Amino acid sequence: MKPMRLSLAAAAATLALVTAPGAPRAEGVLNIFNWGDYTSPELIKKFEAKYDVKVTITDYDSNDTAMAKVKAGGHGFDIVVPTSTVFAVWVKDGLLLESRPDQMENFKHMDPRWVDVPYDPGRHYSVPWQIGTTGVVVNTKVYQGDSATWGVVFDPPPELAGKINVAPEMNDILDSAIMYVGGQPCTDDKAVLKKARDVLLAAKPKWLSMNYASPDSYAKGDIAAGANCNGYTFRARLLNPDVHYAFPKEGFPIWMDNAAILKDAQNVENAKLFLNFIMDPENAAMLSAFARYANGIEGSEKYLPADMRDAPELNPPEGKGVFLHTCPPEVNEIMTRIWTEVQK
Amino acid sequence: MAERVFSVRRMPGFTPMAILVFVVLYAPIVILATYSFNAGTSLAIWEGFSLRWYASAWQDAEVQAATFRSFGIAAAAAMVSSILATMAAIATTRTAAFRGQTFVLAMINLPLMAPEIVTAIALLIVFALVKIATGYSGLGYIVLAHTAFCIPFAFLPIRGRLEDMDQALETAAADLYATPWRAFRYVTLPLLWPGILAGFMLAFVTSLDDVVITNLIAGPGQETLPIYMLGQLRRSTTPEINAVSTALLAISVLLVSLSFLLSREKE
Repeated sequence: MKPMRLSLAAAAATLALVTAPGAPRAEGVLNIFNWGDYTSPELIKKFEAKYDVKVTITDYDSNDTAMAKVKAGGHGFDIVVPTSTVFAVWVKDGLLLESRPDQMENFKHMDPRWVDVPYDPGRHYSVPWQIGTTGVVVNTKVYQGDSATWGVVFDPPPELAGKINVAPEMNDILDSAIMYVGGQPCTDDKAVLKKARDVLLAAKPKWLSMNYASPDSYAKGDIAAGANCNGYTFRARLLNPDVHYAFPKEGFPIWMDNAAILKDAQNVENAKLFLNFIMDPENAAMLSAFARYANGIEGSEKYLPADMRDAPELNPPEGKGVFLHTCPPEVNEIMTRIWTEVQK
Repeated sequence: MAERVFSVRRMPGFTPMAILVFVVLYAPIVILATYSFNAGTSLAIWEGFSLRWYASAWQDAEVQAATFRSFGIAAAAAMVSSILATMAAIATTRTAAFRGQTFVLAMINLPLMAPEIVTAIALLIVFALVKIATGYSGLGYIVLAHTAFCIPFAFLPIRGRLEDMDQALETAAADLYATPWRAFRYVTLPLLWPGILAGFMLAFVTSLDDVVITNLIAGPGQETLPIYMLGQLRRSTTPEINAVSTALLAISVLLVSLSFLLSREKE
């Protein structure tokens, strides 16, 4: 009898699963396709209650996975959140709806710094989700000099030699080195690329490691300086106030994830409501409180948790941040070769 | 002199090499499991023993939903694939050898050899077309895909069992005027049952652990546990992910062991 019961149960399970709708096409539905662990559940509850819309969040783990699924079609998603590095490709390939967030009611809260971004000038497609930077970290107990320069990492002072960690992000690190030697990110000027390579190869022996170092290792003082993303550094500083994050004066990489509506979205009106909703300062603050990065909305500061409100890590100075994008293939090839050499 | 046969165990350096291989294979898993019991939030600094991350994973609504979904899909896919595998195993062992039998066997086992990413991309494209044409976007696609790659895992133990079974019993049943169906129902099936269960469990684990194919074909709100775990890795990794990984590993090891014991069982 036992086997019989097992097969009955499994058959019932099959039936229930196959008939259960994954994404009902009814009114009042919104399907968001976003990075994992990135969407505030409270924000979603608030949106659902306000507009009587059932929201489903589905995670992805890379821009490539997201794009592959959307390009195939029939995916059922309404909103996607691509990173600035690849956003232009999404627009060029016609995957996004020109939903004109710039004409929405809450656009007035948008920080003017983030309106004319190179990948979506005037914000015809997208609304900022979260913003991060890569900069210089120092432990002020070990090093008291000027930290707002890539020189800390690329030409380390003696007291930091052997105590530096560099995050293994090819584009961030190489483009920072290019900016350090006076070039533009993705430059095809061979002389500049060679200079950047020489700087990196000369600095490498003075580095301790090239890892995604945990906030702990910066906080505990195992690492006294490094090239790191601001979110991790912020968490390290909360553990140890001696950890200091600086925005290098030569320029620093900045990235932004952007919410946009898909061209083949089924629930366009709800998706538009959502884009407008997250431009409200209070709601933008909820996003940041969960994901722990800055948002692009003015006036959201006052709704942030106390530890984030005045966090210097989350407030890049105007004008020096550079949005990186994938470099042209011929430049990318040279950069990959340099990176391989650096990692040896 | 009889015991002086060649044995790899007497090769110089066998023991250190074996130990090295085991350490390389299992040390990362041991470390992962160890830190799942960490009292602190760090993945690198031990702060004492605690079950807090298991408790927090257990109470996490998203982990719960993904786990139930994973188990449902695995049960359905393992069920369907064991039925199909049983039919295929009988057709390839209880009939006279037929033209193209080797080809049929190769086709059944193809998912073991085909690169998973190729299957995933092929399914992504085909399912997208079907979704647009039919408007159906439920879990059926994942169940169907999992069933396809689970079939060889269910097939191997079932076929193994069928080959080991004494065919004289089935012949005797037929001699005693049992219809083919009755011979199957009262002789073959009861003897075959451990093989089917072993196949079911292997298929279940295979479905439970799949990442590549599921990641590409899952629609809105269809995350399985491994896909959810992958999504968690981008930001703050807490020992909760270790706890979930360890639990998943424990379930997989348990099911594979059960499957192994069942397929060894005689009578």
